[in-house]
Amino acid sequence: MASGDLIVGLEIGTSKVCVVVGETRPDGTLKILGVGQAPSRGVRKGEIVDFETAMKCVHEAVVDAEQKSDVMIRSVYVAVAGGHIQSFNNRGCVMLPEERDEIDEQDVEDVKINAREVSIPAQNAFLHSIIQHYHVDGQDGVLNPVGMLGEKLEADFHIIHGVRTRVQNTIRCVKELPLEVEDVVFSALAAAQVVLTQHQKNLGALVVDIGGGTTDYILYVDGAVKQSGALAVGGDHITNDISMGLRIPMARAEKLKTEEGSCVLGNCLPGETILLKDDSGFAGKEIERETLNTIIHLRLREIFELLKRTVEEEPFINYVGAGIFITGGCSLVNGIDYLAGEIFEMPAHVTHAQTMSGLTSAVENPQFSTAIGLLKYAQAVQVDRPRRGITRIFGRFFSGMR
Amino acid sequence: MIQLSKNYSLPERQEESIPIKVVGVGSAGSNALDRVLLDGMDKDDLIAVNTDVQSLASSVAARKVQLGRSSTHGLGTGGDPELGYQAAIESADEIRQAIADARMIFICAGLGGGTGSGAAPIVAQLAREAGSLVIAFATLPFSFEGKRRAAQAQDALSRLNDIANAVICFENDRMGDMVAPKAGIHQAFGVADMTISQSVRSIVNLIQRPGLIRIGFDDLFAALRSQNGRCLFGFGESDTDNRAHDALTQALKNPLMDKGRMLSESAHVLVQVAGGPGMTLSEVEILMRELGRHVRDHTQIVFGTAVDGKMGNRLSVTIISSLASEDSIATQAARPAPEPFLAPPPAILEQVEEPPPNIDTVPEPEVVVPAQPGPSDLISFAQPATAEALPPAPAPSIKKPAPRLIPPKKKAVVEKEPKPPKEKCVQAKQEVMQFEPVTRGRFEKSEPTIVEGQDLDIPTFLRKKVRVK
Repeated sequence: MASGDLIVGLEIGTSKVCVVVGETRPDGTLKILGVGQAPSRGVRKGEIVDFETAMKCVHEAVVDAEQKSDVMIRSVYVAVAGGHIQSFNNRGCVMLPEERDEIDEQDVEDVKINAREVSIPAQNAFLHSIIQHYHVDGQDGVLNPVGMLGEKLEADFHIIHGVRTRVQNTIRCVKELPLEVEDVVFSALAAAQVVLTQHQKNLGALVVDIGGGTTDYILYVDGAVKQSGALAVGGDHITNDISMGLRIPMARAEKLKTEEGSCVLGNCLPGETILLKDDSGFAGKEIERETLNTIIHLRLREIFELLKRTVEEEPFINYVGAGIFITGGCSLVNGIDYLAGEIFEMPAHVTHAQTMSGLTSAVENPQFSTAIGLLKYAQAVQVDRPRRGITRIFGRFFSGMR
Repeated sequence: MIQLSKNYSLPERQEESIPIKVVGVGSAGSNALDRVLLDGMDKDDLIAVNTDVQSLASSVAARKVQLGRSSTHGLGTGGDPELGYQAAIESADEIRQAIADARMIFICAGLGGGTGSGAAPIVAQLAREAGSLVIAFATLPFSFEGKRRAAQAQDALSRLNDIANAVICFENDRMGDMVAPKAGIHQAFGVADMTISQSVRSIVNLIQRPGLIRIGFDDLFAALRSQNGRCLFGFGESDTDNRAHDALTQALKNPLMDKGRMLSESAHVLVQVAGGPGMTLSEVEILMRELGRHVRDHTQIVFGTAVDGKMGNRLSVTIISSLASEDSIATQAARPAPEPFLAPPPAILEQVEEPPPNIDTVPEPEVVVPAQPGPSDLISFAQPATAEALPPAPAPSIKKPAPRLIPPKKKAVVEKEPKPPKEKCVQAKQEVMQFEPVTRGRFEKSEPTIVEGQDLDIPTFLRKKVRVK
């Protein structure tokens, strides 16, 4: 049984539902107690399309996790993804009253509220507002302004928002189980917590989480989130392309993708074929390897090129020093780091959650980065402020997360 | 006489563009005109009609008609529709002159006040008598303007409904929803004007643009057929990467559209997609498929598309439809019998196949009713020539004491059932738009992911036309 504080991360992905149970130790480390998962149905492109079915899958995964970790799960942190998630940077500003020139905590609170005074589309809700830097009287790069002297306090925030109803769908799905939802977290933000070290965040890094239905990205420069977003294209699209291109069933295409596929062209012998066996083991269709690879290559190339064009809309990608970190189930495709490196013209790595103890075998799978990242996120926010329960979900906004 | 023959819809007959006029009645009307001009209408096509000389003087319209020189002496009506009505009757000849050579008249009026409510129906009636098609754009007052104005507006609206070929009604309250709560009141009114202007422009474009798949009057009226019902109108324009999706979203966001919810209840939906030469088939397809989700299966979608070089890389979507109000039949039944002393206006939009209902009351020797309309005829509006038609109508209407009296027989025109040839015609049009089937596999039923104009759910190798195997 768990001794410390239990934290549970839940990711309702397009291909699987994944529950990671962890406990925080008094010394600040995080131990993974168990991982439960179930194949996901009723989810398309990271969003729930069939409520009942999705709920069943979540239930299965939670039960699985409870058995494996031998704990009762009551509340979870939930990752959200989907093409509707958007972000932007905003600056808040507060002038100190004339009789006072020392910045106190209240001023910091005020500037946070001020930064939130931006209009997002009416149907959208704020998901995260992540502090980048403070500026005091034009002095840049202040990390903690409390106690400093100044007249004007400014703060840059990265604000992530998404369509309220779609986020609520996910929350409702969990609540009806019934589980308590501690918080909703943008999946790339969660994944970045465990994929990147603080050093890499400082150097600048782009995390690309390619899951089944969505590709989420988050870009760190100088230790702060500068850009983030989601693209509703993922591994499912590759599978679909293979299935349509080679005229084989989806299940077979999925298997072919994970077992044989590669996104590097020109690596196989001319005329090299893969023999597709049917269920009884008899030889079925022959598929040219290069064809398979071409289909995968074209799709992944498109995703990366799209992503590149998106991040290049702002100048931050030029300050990325550590390179690209690819994670998520789809990062298991052979040669994906090579392809990403070629397109972005910077080093690319396939990574998984780094700094965990416990069930390390689970940790080392990129499929679980987001769910494990949720634990790290949860740990960080819990240190930051005591747990206050569900009321925060949309009221909650600012956090000390970086 | 308006004859919409088959030839009319052929692009090569482009030079014969329909002369139109936009008439702004009252000060709300002339505000709308300002906006229409800003949005690129020809100044010569605009006519301002008002009792208030001051407002008239500041109007941008090329032609201005002052109403009631002797009854209001150049002042406003003070919110009295009766006065507006009297003033319009007094200046009937001037109005008639101003609108004489147009075949299609748009009337913009803010209902609720004096001039708009009182004079707009008269202008509509004069226009109909002159043989024009009349489409009225009416705004209903904000509810905070008081019940009295609301009642006056409703009254005027029902009269307009009877007279005009089509009434597109904007509720200012709904316009308010479009504006951020903090925005000034002028902005709220501005939005109303802008919406009217968009509608005028898009309907003009709808009819005049060289259409690949053309939308004609018949389609327009089919979509707007249910009188007294709520008119659904949406217009969206976008030049972003994802312009098909954005334009449609914008169109559905129109306050008259209620986010597309209302669309599911209407039986006819008219859609026109217009864009520059760069508009692609797949964009149109994406758009129509997306729209298809908002309408029911048996809804008849009248589809039109047009390519206009002036659009640049913008793409615009116009959606027009109407809801039959449940009580419309009841109200029509309950309406007072035809006023005997008001001669039914001879200039009625006739559909040829129908025996003219009032042919015995008003002798119309010059009405040309082809015995057997050609099967390919879109629709023919048989009408008396303007000159001959004018004399009978104005005299009795001036004698009329109250403005409430409406020639009710006109209703018959617009409420007619669609004729078989027309239906055939519409269906034929839809058949033209056959797309090559594009497969999205398992994403068939999910929301399309459109980035930079491409549907990412379609396999990349198909889109890039890379041959596999």
